[in-house]
Amino acid sequence: MTFVIAVCVAVCFAVSVYLLLGRDLKGLAMGVFLLGHAANLSILAMSGSPVHPTDPVALLKTTPIADYDTPTDRALAGMVDPLPQALILTAIVIGFAVMGFMLTLLVVTARSTGTLEVDELAQPGDADADPSSESSAPQGAAS
Amino acid sequence: MKDPTCNLIVLIVVIPLMMGLLCVPLVNRTRLCRVIGSLSFSATFLLACTLLVVRGDQGVLVSQMGGWAAPYGITLVFDALSGLMLAAASLVALGTYLYSFGSLPHRTERRYFHPLVNLMMMGVNLSFLTGDLFNLFVAFEIMLMASYGLLVIGGGRAQLRQAYKYVAMNLLASSVFVIAAGMAYGMFGTLNIADLSRLAAHQAETQTLPTGFTALGVLFLFVFALKAGVFPLWFWLPDTYPTCPIAIAGLFGGVLTKVGLYAIARTFPLIFIQDGAGHTLVVILAIAAALTMFMGALGALAYTGLRRVLSLMLLIGVGYALFGIVVMSGGALEGAAFYMTQSMLVMAGLFLCCGLIERTTGTDETRRMGGLLGRPGMVWLGVMFFVGLLGVVGLPPTSGFYGKLVILREGLAGPFWLVGLVGLGVGALTLLAALRVWSTTFWGPPPEEQDSPQESDPATPPSRGRVSEYAGTALLVGASLAMGFAAEPVIGTAATAGKQLASPQVYLDAVLANPRYAAPEKTSPAPGPGSAAGSGGDPHHPHEAGHD
Repeated sequence: MTFVIAVCVAVCFAVSVYLLLGRDLKGLAMGVFLLGHAANLSILAMSGSPVHPTDPVALLKTTPIADYDTPTDRALAGMVDPLPQALILTAIVIGFAVMGFMLTLLVVTARSTGTLEVDELAQPGDADADPSSESSAPQGAAS
Repeated sequence: MKDPTCNLIVLIVVIPLMMGLLCVPLVNRTRLCRVIGSLSFSATFLLACTLLVVRGDQGVLVSQMGGWAAPYGITLVFDALSGLMLAAASLVALGTYLYSFGSLPHRTERRYFHPLVNLMMMGVNLSFLTGDLFNLFVAFEIMLMASYGLLVIGGGRAQLRQAYKYVAMNLLASSVFVIAAGMAYGMFGTLNIADLSRLAAHQAETQTLPTGFTALGVLFLFVFALKAGVFPLWFWLPDTYPTCPIAIAGLFGGVLTKVGLYAIARTFPLIFIQDGAGHTLVVILAIAAALTMFMGALGALAYTGLRRVLSLMLLIGVGYALFGIVVMSGGALEGAAFYMTQSMLVMAGLFLCCGLIERTTGTDETRRMGGLLGRPGMVWLGVMFFVGLLGVVGLPPTSGFYGKLVILREGLAGPFWLVGLVGLGVGALTLLAALRVWSTTFWGPPPEEQDSPQESDPATPPSRGRVSEYAGTALLVGASLAMGFAAEPVIGTAATAGKQLASPQVYLDAVLANPRYAAPEKTSPAPGPGSAAGSGGDPHHPHEAGHD
């Protein structure tokens, strides 16, 4: 199962990096979303077993709820560690908000500049009354 | 019960949250929003200062959310370093906020500027306070979402164009942060910083550190270094900051990079750099610090746009503070804490000065300025700008001197003396850059007439609210100057911060004041940790013992 998840993570990463490196802002947004999915899946894969392997110093992986019963091992045998899933849930919610923001930004950009291509966006338009527009021109050459 | 003053920490996060939410329905009543926001930042500033003065040198204040003991629940930790950062960040927020009254167009202000600033400060405060890696991620996300909103507020074309660079880089960093947090949980089974520190120290001692431990450190380093603007990952910063409205640029320049630096200072000495591991990280950090300083200084010398020069001067400061963190002796960490605090105030003040200069000249291009000191009413602005530049360079009467002095003194004595030498050289280059800025703006010949037309932005109303602009700028520059002249209390706090960072046991004892963690090798409560740990742990004892 871990192998399957690992392959999924790898594919997600590859596709998202490909999209992030593109010149299209829609692709950038999709790449960012996929990256979030890859991150969540990788948490699921990396979260490990519910009980820490017999390390007396590491107490935490005996979950606090199961800890109140005496036969902990039996309770834990049927459980996975709930905390990574809580983390993923939080990350999904945050990713959702970010997705909403990115899409809004795309719409605003498309409305105000009429393009979603990085190359066309990068050309300082005549409507560009910002004082820094001049100084950003030599920067492109420097970097 | 624990000492109830500890729970006051929560207010530092809750006040901006409540005020921000309050501003949402009132967004069209700008005056009311301004009052609410100013109250919010003044309150957090006063609270942070009070907590520092009352309890700061006695130990670490810890508040466990909902009464869940340390590694299970969410922990908020207030020690000297977070206190200094909180106070400085709130002051920067207050100053830039005052400035924004006069400088932001009404239309922009109504586009949820007030709630966004409040929520951003909530995220910033939470990341200074949290004692949990995942919570740090959440705090970063709150801060970043609000900062994305502030970055594109008003929505100029250049602003939108540069915003993508910032948004994409930070989203990438956030994803890496999630992955790294998951890896940390997979390796150690905990995300509490103190607990991670305890486990990592134990495993380093017994040579059983997980295989990817250093790689984990590198992942976190990538995330924090990107936020801080450390050398290879700094390229987004000088592009994005100049494009937003100057009050927001000042706020970002003062606060956001310092959050990344704080995260490095908090997590690396505690977790990733142990006796048996993490030396690669120290070397990486040292090289990055040297290159950040050096490239920042070169950039500051190369560009002529004032905003861009200031952004690059900000990066020089990041390099110095990072160097102080890398040296990692108590003294150097003290210097880093002091330097970060003063750098926040000075950089935000300089950005605001830059805004006032632009108001007069209509451009941020220093080649088209000159002789500003001769213009009527510019003397005080000149004084403030000069004081700010001195603070960046670190010349003696200003507060920048002490921080740099300590960092370089400790750095030259340590193994990274080469970086210290680079720091000395960069100091000279910074002086050169500052002199160049000064001589092309306030001194020097005024520009030729046909070259400086009245091209001031028609969108900005002519001179409304100048008082609040000057008040905000004077607040920040004055505070940075006061830190230089009356440095004693701040240095004392910074010294405590340095000591606390250099000896993690204090932090651990305070956070993990939980009888389950009274590990056998733990010595009797030393006098060092102070009353915060002792008084916190003991009353819990019978209560907790019942569960076992």
